[in-house]
Amino acid sequence: MKLLNLNFLKDIVRELFSNKGNLFFMVLALVISLTALNTIYSLGESAKRQVLEALANLQFGKDALLIIAGGGRIIGLTTTRTDTLKLEDVEEIKRLSFVKLASSWSRGILEVSYQGEAEKLRVDGVDLNYSLANNWYTSSGRFFNQQDMESLAKVCVVGADLPKKFKIKNPIGEKIKIRGEYFEIIGVLEPKTFFGHFRADERVLIPFTTAQRRVFNKDYIDAVKLLFYPDTDMKMATQTIRQILRKRHNLYGVQPDDFRLITPEMSIQRFTEASRTINIFLLAISLISLIISGVIIMNLMYANIEEKAPIIALRIALGATSKILIKHYLTMCLLIALLSGVIGWFLSIILMQAISLFTPLKPLFSWVTFLISLAFATITCVVFGLIPALKATQIEPSILLKSL
Amino acid sequence: MVKKLVLLQNIVKTYQTGNIEHQVLKGINLEVKEGDFLAIMGVSGSGKTTLLNIIGLLDKPTSGTYIFDGQDVSKLNSKEIAFIRNKKIGFIFQAFHLIPWATTLENVLLPLLYRKEGFTKEDEKEAVKLLERLGLIDKIHAKPSELSGGQQQRVAIARALINKPKLLLADEPTGNLDTQSSSEVMKIFKELNQEGLTIILVTHDPEIAKNAKEIKIIVDGVFVEK
Ligand SMILES: Nc1ncnc2c1ncn2[C@@H]1O[C@H](COP(=O)(O)OP(=O)(O)OP(=O)(O)O)[C@@H](O)[C@H]1O
Ligand SMILES: [Mg+2]
Repeated sequence: MKLLNLNFLKDIVRELFSNKGNLFFMVLALVISLTALNTIYSLGESAKRQVLEALANLQFGKDALLIIAGGGRIIGLTTTRTDTLKLEDVEEIKRLSFVKLASSWSRGILEVSYQGEAEKLRVDGVDLNYSLANNWYTSSGRFFNQQDMESLAKVCVVGADLPKKFKIKNPIGEKIKIRGEYFEIIGVLEPKTFFGHFRADERVLIPFTTAQRRVFNKDYIDAVKLLFYPDTDMKMATQTIRQILRKRHNLYGVQPDDFRLITPEMSIQRFTEASRTINIFLLAISLISLIISGVIIMNLMYANIEEKAPIIALRIALGATSKILIKHYLTMCLLIALLSGVIGWFLSIILMQAISLFTPLKPLFSWVTFLISLAFATITCVVFGLIPALKATQIEPSILLKSL
Repeated sequence: MVKKLVLLQNIVKTYQTGNIEHQVLKGINLEVKEGDFLAIMGVSGSGKTTLLNIIGLLDKPTSGTYIFDGQDVSKLNSKEIAFIRNKKIGFIFQAFHLIPWATTLENVLLPLLYRKEGFTKEDEKEAVKLLERLGLIDKIHAKPSELSGGQQQRVAIARALINKPKLLLADEPTGNLDTQSSSEVMKIFKELNQEGLTIILVTHDPEIAKNAKEIKIIVDGVFVEK
């Protein structure tokens, strides 16, 4: 017997369609769980991609390190003092041979207003290396220069969405109020598409010196972004910097760090850890729904085989072996899987389009998802179809002559 | 010497229903040679169908020896039995048993699906020839539901013959047919027997039985002399 005989297949397809009600419910059961599986998986994947994109947008590059003042967990509240990170620390770190660039900044949430409209926004005091360190440049106007820094100029560079927010037509040269003082807009940043609540495009940047002495009145900094030369050993670099900071901050023994060192791997790792938990959860749900549809398929297949018992008996009387019968019914299960897989995938695409209308998640099309769901469908159908198929081989052919 | 195709020795078949044992066949002895045309008669419930099932390897005797075409059937495995059903025996049933979703031609070719070689265009031509001979040439692509009882039974005959079997078994083949169709079917049987096919026919109609070369009557589970 050939592996794929067209006449054999035709017979199976016709048998499958001979009871359309049965077929409909078998496919429906599988389609529901496959659609859910596809959609959930794709949305998760889409969210993950957007977060990773956002991380990439931070220009966190491969050879970069972020020092944040205050110790504690990477994500969470700080548990130590936050006023210990100083420019002198940065000076010493800058002297390390593998450090290419350092950019320090301080930040605050301040009231920003324009013509009577006020809003609390992120205001960052940044140095001249900011654009380079974050790969973030102005799209119009100019960035700060040495003179702005030296003169503690009251100028600012704003995020791409800020002019829109305050309905400023030609932002360059306009003046906005930051905590009651006028700042002239000298540049607008390129838009950065961020995910979630970063609202990067509503940010206001002011010169570092102005921030420290005129706005925040502080002598410590909040964060430093470091760029290393290519192929720097990240582990070694992190260790070295940690040691320098601990020594400078007089931290010994079990005293915790009063700063956090964040590498791109760590941020991605934290994210993937969180998403792994979610994935396991989703996988469990998917498995349960597949098992439920498998059981439904098994029962409907049983009913089908019971209904077709005289025909199966006939096949046996005409010389069909157990092997042929099992092949017959497993092929039928495969067809059901294929049909459901394709329908489920299409439905999930439609569903994702609909979801993307109401959420920031973009729909995602992936052949991998399709193949995975097809594989799941196939496994479900074969596993749960095997028992009914075995039952078909148990049918007594002698019922044929007596079934009158 | 003519070869023995079917040899039954002291065949007993007992059915168990709950605690009650019911012996249907009580020691059947039968010899069918190649080229024979045997009609088995008996009243309803006498065990005719049970016997035919055993001869056709659709059922197993409780005891006794059955030699089919020189092989002791009790020593065959399920694959070998399937092979004999497929290649050496053709079945015809009172209820026709055609596959409702398949056309005349597909129904006839069905046994070929279950043999190792599958089937080719040649086999298809052979099937068409057979259907032509049985007067079904214009019904080749019809479904069973579009055929009369007599036509359906002729499709079943073509299906039984497609693998060129040695033995044709028919259980009340005319039981669902009118007189006209019945005599047509019997005419075909006679022709086939003349061409050398061995036939065992079960019937309770003496007129039908007359077409056979030999008639045996089963009473209370054993053959009786006429
Ligand atoms: N599977 C079974 N289990 C129990 N008893 C059975 C079974 N099959 C047949 N019998 C019994 O065996 C006896 C013979 O049945 P069988 O079908 O061989 O009769 P028959 O001669 O073909 O009758 P008919 O002319 O009505 O077709 C009957 O009494 C029947 O009830
Ligand atoms: Mg009977």
